[in-house]
Amino acid sequence: MNTAVDPNYKPPLSERLEPYMAVIAPMAMIAASFAFMAVASPDRFYRISNLELLLQDAALYMPMAMAMTFVITQRGIDLSIGSMAALSAIIMAFLIKQYGFSVYIAVPIAIALGALMGLVNGLIITRLKVPDLLGTLAMDLVYRGFALVLAKGLVLARVPGLLTEIGRGQIPGFVPIPVLIGTATMIAGYVLLTRTYFGRYTIAIGSNPEAAELTGISVNRHKVYAYVLCGACAALGGVMLTGKLNAIQATSAPYFNLHVIAAVVVGGTSLFGGRASMLGSFAGVLLLSMMINALVTLRIEFFWQSVASGVVIVSSVALYAWMQKKDRDGAGGWFAALQTPDGQKMLRLSAVLIGVLIALLAVGAMFAGDPNPSG
Amino acid sequence: MADTPLVQMRGITKRFGGVTALQDVDLSAYAGEVLAIVGDNGAGKSTLIKVLPGVYQPTEGEMFLDGEPVTFSNHADAARAGIDAVYQTLALADHLDPAANMFLGNELTKTVLGITILDNKKMRSETERVLMERLGVRLKSLDAPTDSLSGCHRQAVVIARAVYHEGLRVLVMDEPTAALGPQETARTLKLIKSLKAQGLAVILISHSLDDVVEVADRVHVQRRGQCVGVVLTAESSTQDVLGMIVGAKEDAA
Repeated sequence: MNTAVDPNYKPPLSERLEPYMAVIAPMAMIAASFAFMAVASPDRFYRISNLELLLQDAALYMPMAMAMTFVITQRGIDLSIGSMAALSAIIMAFLIKQYGFSVYIAVPIAIALGALMGLVNGLIITRLKVPDLLGTLAMDLVYRGFALVLAKGLVLARVPGLLTEIGRGQIPGFVPIPVLIGTATMIAGYVLLTRTYFGRYTIAIGSNPEAAELTGISVNRHKVYAYVLCGACAALGGVMLTGKLNAIQATSAPYFNLHVIAAVVVGGTSLFGGRASMLGSFAGVLLLSMMINALVTLRIEFFWQSVASGVVIVSSVALYAWMQKKDRDGAGGWFAALQTPDGQKMLRLSAVLIGVLIALLAVGAMFAGDPNPSG
Repeated sequence: MADTPLVQMRGITKRFGGVTALQDVDLSAYAGEVLAIVGDNGAGKSTLIKVLPGVYQPTEGEMFLDGEPVTFSNHADAARAGIDAVYQTLALADHLDPAANMFLGNELTKTVLGITILDNKKMRSETERVLMERLGVRLKSLDAPTDSLSGCHRQAVVIARAVYHEGLRVLVMDEPTAALGPQETARTLKLIKSLKAQGLAVILISHSLDDVVEVADRVHVQRRGQCVGVVLTAESSTQDVLGMIVGAKEDAA
């Protein structure tokens, strides 16, 4: 036998499926939401114009989700992408509208600025040893602050046609231009992840930083690369957003960071590092955009969006955690944990909390006075 | 056995500040032999096997490779000269497949349209070849991440990384059987014997005297930073070696 693989080994179905779970899970969720919409609101959801809108919305997040996949795989996180997007887009808009810069120069400037901000993030994390969560959260404030200082309350509207083409243009009979850009960055990200030193070392660093260091990989340099990529992609997102809205202001892109992180995590990239799925991130972006689109077409109040996003994040991370630990500790079924002493105590605590709340509400209702204060 | 040792350490002393970890230690290993280093905790075993592959630099003493004096300023130096080491904490990225791990930091590449990209196919086939031809190991899958492999196979991937370097002549192993069950241990010992048969000098630390007797040709006994003797496993019992480790013989004399 001249093969290093045991030909007689047949893993069970679940084990063979596991590597593909990152793609199967979001795809299944997407299929489920398509099916749900087919029942709930087929006429308004399945319009070409609506599907195009959905894709356009998803495309905006694709470059950022691609870059965030690298950052998260390296056990990092970048909470500053929304501000980086806003700041670089505002500087770009100023250059175009006040200083008469050509769009062909202003867009690369914006992306280079984003990369520079990413470099600052990376150096703060690797050189100054500020934990990534805190470092990028603080820099989020800094970049947002600069954007506010620059733009004050101004809305920089009516940008040149080339920019709106980038943001919401359409190739006749084909997909919108932003979808083309987004998909291209995703494919580039896939190649980067699987075929280059950077991608390989990204996974190695997230999987086992000590081992990576031991084999001579420059861990800090590759971490900085990931943040630079993240900054550049955030700026690209900012450019696309400006084109899409035909306007930009300092408070634009407020929840980009959570939306993008959610998309990446839903796609199966592990927050604990080492496990990356570019295809999963692509599916995750689509899923989140579908969810928001569905909420709109079902005419559910806008404010439910944040509830839905949060529930999707928690449930998908919990699902992956559950899949990871199956059979390792023989924990039994879902409710087996309730039998343990710890589970009992937890149950009692929840009961007491809910009981106190109900009692307080009852007492409040009993002694409630006139709801309209006099005077 | 050849007359000149493949690798020789003479009068090695290593001090960390005021602590003397090694005191005037001699060690030699021949091509095609397994030398075990045994000793109690703090006897200087770990320091000794870090000096050899250039991780630590000795305070005093000389090293010879093939009779030629050598000095290593770091591990990469030693690896180039043909001395590599496999440590207790396996340097594996668990989420990557065996081929990616084997070539980690040393990837094979190809050029497509003027762009250098990783040659995953070549790395995979080379891994398959090295595992099969040099180590006689068959993994259950070359595509699964390494954390799905058994302890012995994980070790095989790390060893494959070392033996892929054609110039490898001395392999240093720190507790290769420490975290393994009986079956896995037997397989790992077989692996070590096959490396020996290929003419490598294997130097290993072990706490398990049973494993030492099974696999080693000679045993170098360390006690309190000094070498208290080298015995042939063929001519001595585990009891003798144990006596030397705890110093019973010396005290009785």
